[in-house]
Amino acid sequence: MISRKQNQTRQRKLSRLAVGWLGLVIVAALWQLLAVTLHTSVFPTFIASLVAAWKVVTSSALRVDIIPSLERTAVGFLISVIIGITAGMIIGHYEVVRDWTSAVVDFMRSLPTPLLVPIAIVIFGINGRMVVATIVSAAIWPILINTANGTSTIEPTMIDTATTYGLRGRTLFWRVVLPAASPQIFAGLRIALSVSLAVMVVAEMLGGGSGIGYFIANAQQSFNIKGSYGGVIVLGCLGWIFDTLFLSFERRLLSWQRGTLGGSFDV
Amino acid sequence: MNQVRFAPDQSERPLELTRARLTPRQRRTVRQIGGILVALALWELSSATGAVNSNALVTPLATFGGIISHMTALATALVATLEAWALGISVAVVAGILIGTLVGRSQIADAATETIVRMMRPLPSLALIPIAILIAGLGVRMTAGLVSFAAFWPVFINTRVGVRQVDNTVLETAAVLGLKKLNLLYRVVLPSASPMIASGIQVAISLALVVTVSVELVGGTGGLGEFILLAQQGNEPSVMFGGIIMGGLLGWGISRLFAWIIDRFIPWRTQGIRTNA
Repeated sequence: MISRKQNQTRQRKLSRLAVGWLGLVIVAALWQLLAVTLHTSVFPTFIASLVAAWKVVTSSALRVDIIPSLERTAVGFLISVIIGITAGMIIGHYEVVRDWTSAVVDFMRSLPTPLLVPIAIVIFGINGRMVVATIVSAAIWPILINTANGTSTIEPTMIDTATTYGLRGRTLFWRVVLPAASPQIFAGLRIALSVSLAVMVVAEMLGGGSGIGYFIANAQQSFNIKGSYGGVIVLGCLGWIFDTLFLSFERRLLSWQRGTLGGSFDV
Repeated sequence: MNQVRFAPDQSERPLELTRARLTPRQRRTVRQIGGILVALALWELSSATGAVNSNALVTPLATFGGIISHMTALATALVATLEAWALGISVAVVAGILIGTLVGRSQIADAATETIVRMMRPLPSLALIPIAILIAGLGVRMTAGLVSFAAFWPVFINTRVGVRQVDNTVLETAAVLGLKKLNLLYRVVLPSASPMIASGIQVAISLALVVTVSVELVGGTGGLGEFILLAQQGNEPSVMFGGIIMGGLLGWGISRLFAWIIDRFIPWRTQGIRTNA
């Protein structure tokens, strides 16, 4: 009985997935159709763009542009994670610190980060360090704010109970505060990951010297239009892979809290 | 943020007499202003001592001077940026809510859009700037088009989820009470989905501003982005900083205004959904 029920849910999941991919196929077909009927050079067909994307991945652009971009994104994201979680914990835990910093944090995270690229270029020059600095200046805020929120809204009973059981200091932090705040922290990390990719692209377009953003902009300026589309497809796939990896990592790490909290939806 | 109060720090006791005159809210405001002053002082120090390349970092005072001396140009740039932003965001919000509601109410449409959404969500719309320039040329229409494309996704995704999550009991009750399609939508589905939709719009408005200034920076299509780029190329760091500060104030003002609107019109929006500090 149980196995049949499991089979049924699995089947329903599979059919849902199949319909999902069907939706993608329909969009691709519409793209193809539109491109064939319009027949302009600025809008290549879906298949031509896919071929271009394949060419990007198999050419020297992989080593010259894609890998440096991935490195910059990874380094920028990691720096943001370290600073963001540390500062967020402090800000979330001490109300005084929260009050003192809230106005400045509010301002900084409202600032549209691409505006900082010109300064970053003046300070660091046209190179990968500039891109990393720009990524950090953008990706740090969702992490910091979510960590602070997660830390400051921990159920006081939870802390009190833990204290009564004799947990304090480092143990209290690792066993209670960090796990309790982790769902919020992960939500912030996921936003920060897509922010990192987005900002990486703009920074590279404006002055990365290399990288996938540079590649896309350069392809457009040299009228390699298919290459430009190919670059965007590669980037989209990278974003999708990152997001999927992150979600499975989160699911594994936070498996303990599934079922304890309601309404965790997957979008 | 303010549901939880920590026990007052023991070391602060001696100050309690002077502090007693301030309400907690006033105390917070004082501290916030203090924080801004400290940040300004740190900025002044780091640029005055030359810890960072002084050519890149100007003092707050010089920045203020830059803002004053380029007042009209800055105002024009701000208006241009706001115009493209407003055009793009309004299209995105209308389309996102409309399509999101349709898709969220239909199981098949919902499943069919799943993969597309999962692929488009992390795709940085900013990568499409060169392609948008190719297709639509340089101009407000291109900027607004790209902005609405980018801002569409958060609104659409949240509307879809919000509409999907309406309590079945509520829907059935409304049906029993005789509410028909459109009425049901306006009276029940949309109001109960509105907190989710509001969160989506909140994300969308700041994303839209990021996309707007990015297009202006990359394409040089006027507005704040181009203003800052020109200041950098003209080697006028104080003007460049002035532009950046104005950009921050613009972003801050927009998100404050929207937060106020939400509190005013969607009072049933619970604290738990709010993601900002």
